[in-house]
Order: sequence, then C-alpha cells, then structure tokens
Amino acid sequence: MTADASTDIILDARNLTRYFGGGYRFPFGEMPLIRAVDGVSLSVRRGETFAIVGESGCGKSTLARLILRLIEPTGGSVRFEGREITGTPPEAMRRLRRDMQIIFQDPFGSLNPRMTVGALIGEPLSVHGIASGRERDARVREMLRLVGLRPDHAGRYPHEFSGGQRQRIGIARALATRPRLLIGDEPVSALDVSIRAQVINLLEDLKAQLGLTLILVAHDLAVIRHTSDRIAVMYLGEIVEIADRDSLFETPRHPYTRSLIDAIPVPVPGARAARTLLQGDPPSPAAPPPGCRFHTRCVYAKDICRTDRPALRDIASGHRVACHLAGELQAHTLPAALETVSAARQRRVALFAGAQGIPASNA
Amino acid sequence: MMAEATPLLDVESLSIRFGPSAPALVDNLSFSLKPGETLCLVGESGCGKSLTALALMGLLPTRAQPSGRARFEGRDLLTLPARQMQDLRGDRMAMIFQEPMTSLNPAFRIGDQIGESIVRHRGASRSEARKLALDMLRKVRIPAAEKRLDAYPHQLSGGMRQRIMIAVALVNEPDLLIADEPTTALDVTIQAQILALMRELQRAAGMAMILVTHDLGVVAEVADRVAVMYAGRIVETGTARDLFDDPQHPYTLGLIGSLPSLGRREGRLATIPGSVPPPDRFPAGCRFATRCPFADARCWTETPPLTGIGAAGHRAACFKAPIEANAGGLAA
Ligand SMILES: Nc1ncnc2c1ncn2[C@@H]1O[C@H](COP(=O)(O)OP(=O)(O)O)[C@@H](O)[C@H]1O
Ligand code: SF4
Ligand code: SF4
Ligand SMILES: [Mg+2]
Repeated sequence: MTADASTDIILDARNLTRYFGGGYRFPFGEMPLIRAVDGVSLSVRRGETFAIVGESGCGKSTLARLILRLIEPTGGSVRFEGREITGTPPEAMRRLRRDMQIIFQDPFGSLNPRMTVGALIGEPLSVHGIASGRERDARVREMLRLVGLRPDHAGRYPHEFSGGQRQRIGIARALATRPRLLIGDEPVSALDVSIRAQVINLLEDLKAQLGLTLILVAHDLAVIRHTSDRIAVMYLGEIVEIADRDSLFETPRHPYTRSLIDAIPVPVPGARAARTLLQGDPPSPAAPPPGCRFHTRCVYAKDICRTDRPALRDIASGHRVACHLAGELQAHTLPAALETVSAARQRRVALFAGAQGIPASNA
Repeated sequence: MMAEATPLLDVESLSIRFGPSAPALVDNLSFSLKPGETLCLVGESGCGKSLTALALMGLLPTRAQPSGRARFEGRDLLTLPARQMQDLRGDRMAMIFQEPMTSLNPAFRIGDQIGESIVRHRGASRSEARKLALDMLRKVRIPAAEKRLDAYPHQLSGGMRQRIMIAVALVNEPDLLIADEPTTALDVTIQAQILALMRELQRAAGMAMILVTHDLGVVAEVADRVAVMYAGRIVETGTARDLFDDPQHPYTLGLIGSLPSLGRREGRLATIPGSVPPPDRFPAGCRFATRCPFADARCWTETPPLTGIGAAGHRAACFKAPIEANAGGLAA
C-alpha cells in the first residue's frame, strides 16, 4: 500500500518471507521447504483494526509472529513507527516489546499455571522496569478493572477462571505495558458464542479507550467483518486481496475471497440455497502450485494462471487484488437473503439487548 | 408437511447424573426423530449435547447414571445389553466425532478400517469388504481413492480424515447418524464441502441425523428441527424457521444477538452476561435465571415447562415468552 503523506503508518512490512524446514536432517533425509509466508507487504494505519484472514496453514500466525519479530524472517523487513526492527539488537528490541504486544487463541496454554493472576499481569511491568512494589500492585488492579475482572482476583490462579475470564487475563497482561500496537492471534476462536461476543466488545472498548492499533488474525469472517477496518486475505503464504471492510465483503474481487465468503454458514434458514462450493483441499505449502497458487481450485483459471504469478495490484482505490482476471470478473454480491431477518426476531433481540442497557444492535 | 410417521427414535425424560445426589447434567430431555429427519442439538460447551449423544450410543462413561427411555426401532437404548448395543453401533446407528483421530485407529490402513465394519456386521469376505470400502471412499469423494485404501490416517489432511470417518460411519447404511461437532475443527471451505456431502448421502439413504453443534449458521443450513439446550435442558425447540424467524427463549435471543452479522455492521453485539454456572450452582428454577435480564423471583424457584408457543411443534421453556407481551415493562 502506498500511503500518502497524511496517513500515519504505524507498521510497515515489506516483502516478508519465512521458510521452514529445508536442508538435510538425520535420520529423515531431505526436509521439505515450507514457504509459510512468501513475499508479504502491508501497511497498518495508526488507530485502525487490521485483519489478516485465511484458512489454517495459510501463514497468518507466522505473519503475526514475524511482525512482532517473535521469529526471524528469512527475508524482508518490518518498520514499526518508522524504525526498522528487523536488525534491531536484543536490548533495543526488548524495549520495543513494551509497545507491541500479542494475545493468543488459547488463553490457558499461554498463561503459566503456577503464577497468580497478579504475578502474571505484573511480570511485564517488572521485566520492562515500568513499575515495582506498590505501584506495580496498583497497576495490576487497574488492569484487572479495565478488562472487567475484580481487583481481588489478583491472588487467584488461572485454572480458577473460565475460558472467557482467562482471555481477559491474557488481555490485561498484554496491555499492562501500555502498548500502542496489539496483535490478537485468533483471540476469540476458542470461546463460546456468548463469551466471544463479550470479548469482542471488550477489545473494541479498550481500543477506543486506549487509542490502540489492532491487528487481528482470524479465520471467522463474520467476526472480522464486525470488528475490522481493513482486511488482508491470505492463501498459501501470500496476500491475495486487501481492501476496506465493506469493499471486501460487498465487492470481493479475488475468486478465493469469494469462495471463502460463500462458504460461511449464516443464521438465516434458506439464505444459502444456491452457491458453488470450492472443491478440494489447499495444496501443501511445501509444494505450492506454480503461477497463481490458487489455480488448482479456481473455476476461472486460464493458461496464464498456471505459469505467471499475479502481482498484487490496485483495482479500485485502496482495493488491491492478486489475480490476472480481477478487473474482468463479474461483480459478486452476497444474496440479499443473508440479511433478511424477521421482524419478530429483530424486535425480541433488541428487547433482550435493551434489557441489559446495551443499545439495540444487530438481530 | 409429511404424514405423521412413527418415530425412528423416541427419547423420553432422559436424565444423566454422575452420582445419585449430583445435579442432572442432562435433565428430563424428551424429543423424537422421524426417519430421514435432521435434528440439531445446539448450545454452548457443557450444556449436555455430547452427553446426550453418548447416552444414545451406549458410550457413556461407567460412572454416568442415565435414566428415562430412548426407544430406537423398538428397543430401549438405555437398557440394551452391551452385546446387542455393539451390534447396533456401526450398523443401524453410527456416530462421528469432532476429531477423527479419536476414532480412527492410527495403526490401521484406511481400507481395513472401513472394511472391518462390513466384515463384522455383514459377514462379508475380505475381498468384498475391500471393494465396498473403495466404493465408499469414492462416495465421500476421496481423490485417488484406490491409493488411499492403503494409506494411514496421519497421511491425510483434516478434511480427508473427516471424510474417512463419514465413510466408516455410513458404510453399513445406518438408519441414524449422530454427528458431534463434525465440522468444528475444519476450515469453512472444507466445512461447507463436508456438510454438503453429509446432506447428499443422507438424502440418498433416507438416513436420520442428530447433529450436535454450537454454530447457529450450521443449524440454519442443515436442520429440519432444532433443540436449543442450556445447562442440560431443552429451552426451546421447533423447526429451523421457528427458531430463527420467531425465536422465543431469552437464551436463544442472546445467542442470536451474540453473532456478528456478515452484512453491514449494526453497532455493538448483544451479549449474554456472565457464563454458565457450574452444575452444583444451577438455580433451583430456570437454569438461565443467573444470566437472564427478564428473571424475576418465580424464575429462581420454579422450573418453566416446555410449552407450545407460535406454530405447532414450537415450544419454549420460559415464563415470560413471548417477552414483548410479558416482559415489556422491564425492557421499555
Ligand atoms: N466423564 C465426565 N465426568 C464428569 N462430568 C462430565 C463428564 N463428561 C461431561 N461432563 C460434564 O457434563 C456437562 C455436559 O458436558 P458435554 O455433554 O460434554 O457438553 P457439550 O457437549 O454440550 O459441550 C459438563 O458440565 C461436563 O463438564
Ligand atoms: S489468477 Fe487465475 S487462477 Fe488465480 S485467482 Fe485469478 S483467475 Fe483464478
Ligand atoms: S423463565 Fe425467567 S429466567 Fe428463565 S428464561 Fe424465562 S424469564 Fe428468563
Ligand atoms: Mg461437546
């Protein structure tokens, strides 16, 4: 994305690549080279929620870790607030970590079960020399309140909490250092529907309250549509489409994005009557197809798709697509039925929400 | 509407406890299923969906104490001797799980795992079984089926393994398939393929299905009838249309309101406050009372019965349904 001067870019990734495996390993022999992330460029604007979406194995979590430099890239660079972080020495990198934090899908797996909640949230404060002693305890209590837990929860252990509460603890820990960028790697996927909605609302509130920039990695397109400003769609290690939320969902250009949107089951009976489903599994990232990586599953594939890799190019303002036919494909619109919700349903869901003091929202 | 067929499965007052004084984790469940029909059991984790499925399959842990009746083709599944239950399983009724690796044996080749069930229940020869297994792999659209017969489960993708599970379950053309979150671990494009495949095979064989899921989108796509479960009880049941166009129970409303829409953003999500209480803290009356914005004193002490509301067959267990008539003052 070529940002004009007025856009404040908080994070800029250029041509990021990460390969795994390869080489010879006893006793397995030649290891396959996995192209987990293969030449990804993106810019994230300060204050926005930027989503990276795709199916398992497409490289989205690897990309998130590269952005934070939790793992080293095979090639390419990342700039955070204008500073190159790719070659940053460890000490300076440690200081940078205060400003960029991550929350994970599995709140249990990412919290040390032998530490109290207070110690877990306080740890980053000590590590970064931000606060100690009483000041630290006060900050921990403030963080707990911020994420909707009670200050006296500080003395308990993670196993005493439900999944949704543990995710709140993970968020409190990540936000303790007051980062400016927060990355969520599938932060709500493991949660039940009603708890997921609570955590989504919490993240949105915190973002507004603290002026955060959010990068969300997810596979759930409805969650993405609800929470994000801009969206990048990944397939086999590459970005195939980037656009504003409404453009992406209302005029998806890449055949893969279209299939992805078409595949989502929606809670309206009959809405999905007619559609064509994507066939087959994605190919292995160890042997990505030549040309356009999607050509083995694309119904529009032509000869050129089998040989030439399509570049990510501007199709409309702010809408970039990597497809040879992007300009030519017929417009694709969601069936109107997807949003046709009965009056009774709308009224009662609004009553339910209203009874809790939540402004009437979607039904 | 179909003529009233005799039910294939008739569950009456099914309760499941772990210990005589423990709370019922599945409490007084009644539902029935006609041949060829799809019933979705929907609800969040811990609401008793899986326990219900396991009870019907005779696969409950030994400590579990089921009571009530579950008549299937004239026999009560809850009291059937283990031997007869084993004969039914994999033959007249079959089950598939969320994680295929839990029921596929990693040490056996795909072809043998499918074939075993045919040999066991049909007394087919090895070579006949292999031929039927190959047919079945083709039916579930495994590419290069011949080659896969000799593959081991770990050599296949998640989507392929789920197809193999379906092949194993359906090879003897059961009358009832119980599927517990069969697509939850899969990506959406693969999920869509698997659901379409299941529907197609189901229609072809006239098989009935109980699909356990937490995903209301999946419910809207596949269900003829739906039972919404909360804390071990059915709180609302009806056709998919009843549930989505005329939802009545506050829990159903909360679930629907919690879902982000694929359409334009319409503001904050509605949420259900708090979380499901642990079984030893279920309220004495309506189990949803701890999270329901409409709860009053009666809800805490009296259990609301599942009562007809709206269209025939649509029932909800709530004193305040329809809420616009009975809880309007509160919400205004
Ligand atoms: N083997 C078991 N021993 C004790 N409690 C169990 C056992 N299996 C399930 N439960 C409990 O039963 C309830 C319902 O579980 P389950 O049927 O698995 O729910 P679901 O499938 O809806 O997620 C939960 O409270 C769960 O903890
Ligand atoms: S470049 Fe060709 S194969 Fe790739 S998505 Fe476009 S039309 Fe399909
Ligand atoms: S019976 Fe009472 S507590 Fe239960 S759902 Fe209805 S209003 Fe809420
Ligand atoms: Mg379950």
